[in-house]
Amino acid sequence: METPQFKGTHLFDRLCWAKENLEPHQSDYRVVYEDKLDECAKILVPDPNWMACALQGGILPPVWVYHELAKDEAQPDFKKHTRGYLLHQTEPVEAMTEEEAIEYLIMKDCPEQVWKTYNKGNRQTMVICKKEQLPQSREWRNSWKISQVAA
Amino acid sequence: MAGKIIADQIEHSTAGSLDTQYVVNGSEKVWVNFNGTGTVAIRDSLNTSSITDVSTGRYRPNYTNSFNYAADYAFHVTSGVLGATWGLQQLSTHTASSTEFILYNTGAGATDNSIVPCTARGDLA
Repeated sequence: METPQFKGTHLFDRLCWAKENLEPHQSDYRVVYEDKLDECAKILVPDPNWMACALQGGILPPVWVYHELAKDEAQPDFKKHTRGYLLHQTEPVEAMTEEEAIEYLIMKDCPEQVWKTYNKGNRQTMVICKKEQLPQSREWRNSWKISQVAA
Repeated sequence: MAGKIIADQIEHSTAGSLDTQYVVNGSEKVWVNFNGTGTVAIRDSLNTSSITDVSTGRYRPNYTNSFNYAADYAFHVTSGVLGATWGLQQLSTHTASSTEFILYNTGAGATDNSIVPCTARGDLA
């Protein structure tokens, strides 16, 4: 199915179109990351409807739009978003592969300091894996850390 | 977009009228239903890009179209099991683009659950 010309269409309306017209895509990929030294590893789980949008193309805004909005929100005097139009007016990104979509998602939903420096310190703080590689039991969930042997 | 109806007001034959802005503002802008046990997985959703599995019973839905205000939208989770007292402890990490929460069982503390439905309503950016 061809994506309608969505530039200028409110992002929420595009997501509603995708929900009605696209088949969700359950990704097997998971992103494991550590952003705080004294906390256990966090797992980023991709949304199947969002993945469908990413694979289809022409729906999602470029990831830099989210970074601009995050900069605004980080200002001490932030009260409300005044540049939400970036989400709706910016040319949507083209279709991505599943791997490109996961990279986009990392830059959107993981803390910036993680994806910018994940391999720069004395331990790796982020890995992309398949869900089968995660522990099958959550009994010790609060102790999960990234194995430096595997990373 | 094809099939679009533009109206500022809806009027009932006898019960009065309603501005459509109330309908738009009052509808859910995010919903997601996920399995918080085993390998966390999202069943279905609208306007969610991912879930962050933070720790036991602690999750963070991330939104595709964020809200306008950092903490000026309503977020709701219903999750529990028969025979146990559950409550929701919402955390301070309540931003315009995500909401982190804990599923709290009074008998066992933070607890994973297999059915976690969440919704949020408010003004979108």
